[in-house]
Formats: sequence, structure tokens, C-alpha cells
Amino acid sequence: MAERPEDLNLPNAVVTRIIKDAIPDGVNVSKEARLAISKAASVFVLYATSCSNNYAMKAKRKTINANDVISAMEEMEFDQFEDPLKHCLEAYRNEQKNKKEANEKKKKEKEVEVQTVEDVMEEEEDDEDNDGDNEKDEDFVAEEDEDDDEEEDEEGGDVESVGLGSVANDNASVSGSATGSVVEISDDDG
Amino acid sequence: MAEKQTEKDGQCVLPLSRIRTIMKSSPDVGSISHEALFLTGKATEMFVKNLATISREKSKDKMNVNYKDLAEVVNSDDVLQFLQDIIPRKIKAREYLEKLEDEDEDSS
Repeated sequence: MAERPEDLNLPNAVVTRIIKDAIPDGVNVSKEARLAISKAASVFVLYATSCSNNYAMKAKRKTINANDVISAMEEMEFDQFEDPLKHCLEAYRNEQKNKKEANEKKKKEKEVEVQTVEDVMEEEEDDEDNDGDNEKDEDFVAEEDEDDDEEEDEEGGDVESVGLGSVANDNASVSGSATGSVVEISDDDG
Repeated sequence: MAEKQTEKDGQCVLPLSRIRTIMKSSPDVGSISHEALFLTGKATEMFVKNLATISREKSKDKMNVNYKDLAEVVNSDDVLQFLQDIIPRKIKAREYLEKLEDEDEDSS
């Protein structure tokens, strides 16, 4: 096969591993044989693609799908691959489904985290006399609303710039007063 | 062992990006669904295993599989005809030269 910038060969290490899995331990396969099998595998992909594509085109589709590939095996007289491939397809579809569900779960958890940290931030801001609770002290004069808004924006800005995704609410420690100093969020896990 | 296989069934050890590159080099190919890509990869894995196994079966020395065994299998099995050009039987240089001489004689 002519060499091209895009490599049409499969990685030798992987092909060797597949070969080793197929034959008993201790059996030696010469380098020349392994190279030839690797080339054969590339040609197999081309042949399978050509057949699969024919099925897709016959059905007036521009996308080769799973059934096209399985039909191609029959055409190429590799019938023994059909059932195992159907089995693999099922396993693959299940894994894709599981991955999708896991990702959606992670997404939801992230949204909850962001909300919770923001809630904590707001609570801190309500602690005007800096005594640890959100109750107003009688003698303490609340700051003007405008100032509060400014503070909120600053701190809101800080919150956004920290990688919230990796911070579990339990580990976040919020220090500093609500009177305008910079609030730090540190990750406590060691 | 059967359990181990079930774990791997939904995964392909061959790099799908490379498989895709090869597939796209085929003329007139449009798009390839990710399922089709995966199945092509799995089929290729099966093909490699199959080829290694039958080459060993054909081999006289069960502990060593070499090119000759492979060429023999490819050139005697109809299903593997598509490989005949890339895994030809090898002949000795002397035989090849003799062949060339015969051809020259025929054409002159």
C-alpha cells in the first residue's frame, strides 16, 4: 500500500495483542506474519466499508449504519461474525446509555453545588455585624443598600472565578467579613 | 473467561479514530454512524483473531506461525481471496528469474 500522510495502518502493539489473545501461550508468531496480518486487517476494513456503503447507498442513505455493517459481513462470507457482532452492538448500546445517564446525573449534581455555595455566600453577606449569625445587632447600623449591591457583585464575581465544579460544599470554607473584603474559598481536601 | 469476554464486548481495543481514517479513504463514503464505526472495529478484531487461528491450524509447526503459513491460508481459502494481492505466496529469487526468462522467450 502506498504511504500517505494519514496512516492507514493499525498500531502494531494492538494487533499483536489481539493475535496473542487468539492463540495459546508460548506460540510464536513471526514479525513478518504479524505485519502481514496487520496489513490484512486494514484491507479488511476497506473491503467491509465498501460493502457496508453499498447497502447504505441501496437504501438511499448517506450514512452507513450498524445494520449495513452486519449485512456486509454476510456479503463477504464472514457469517460467523454476524451473531457475535449483534451481541457486541447490544453491549455497546447499553454502555452508551449508562454513560449518558451518568453524565446527566453529574450535571444535576453540579447545578445543586453551585446553588448551595451561592446560598452560603448570601448568608455571609447578611451577617452585617460580623458576629457569625444573620441576626441584626440593635446598635449596628446597616449599610446602604447600594453598597451591599456593590459588594454582592464583587463577591459574585469571585465566586464565578473559582472552579466550583471541583469544590464539594463540605470542603469549602468561606472566610472574611461581609463588609467588603475579598472572600476566599479554599479547597480543604488534602 | 466468559465473564471477561462480556466486559469487553461493548468496547473495541483498536483505535476507532484510525478505523475511521481508513473507512473515510474508501471512495464514495459519506457519513459513518458511531455504531457502524464501532462494529467495523469489532469485526476487524474478530478477523485478526480468525486469521491468526486458521494460519496456525494450517501450520505444520504448531508452536511457530510464520508468513508462509499465512500466505498458504490466504491463497487456498476462497473467502480470503481479497487478500491474495497483499499476502502473496513467496517464491525463491531463482524461480522468479526463471519465470522472467520464460516470459522473455515467449514475447520475443
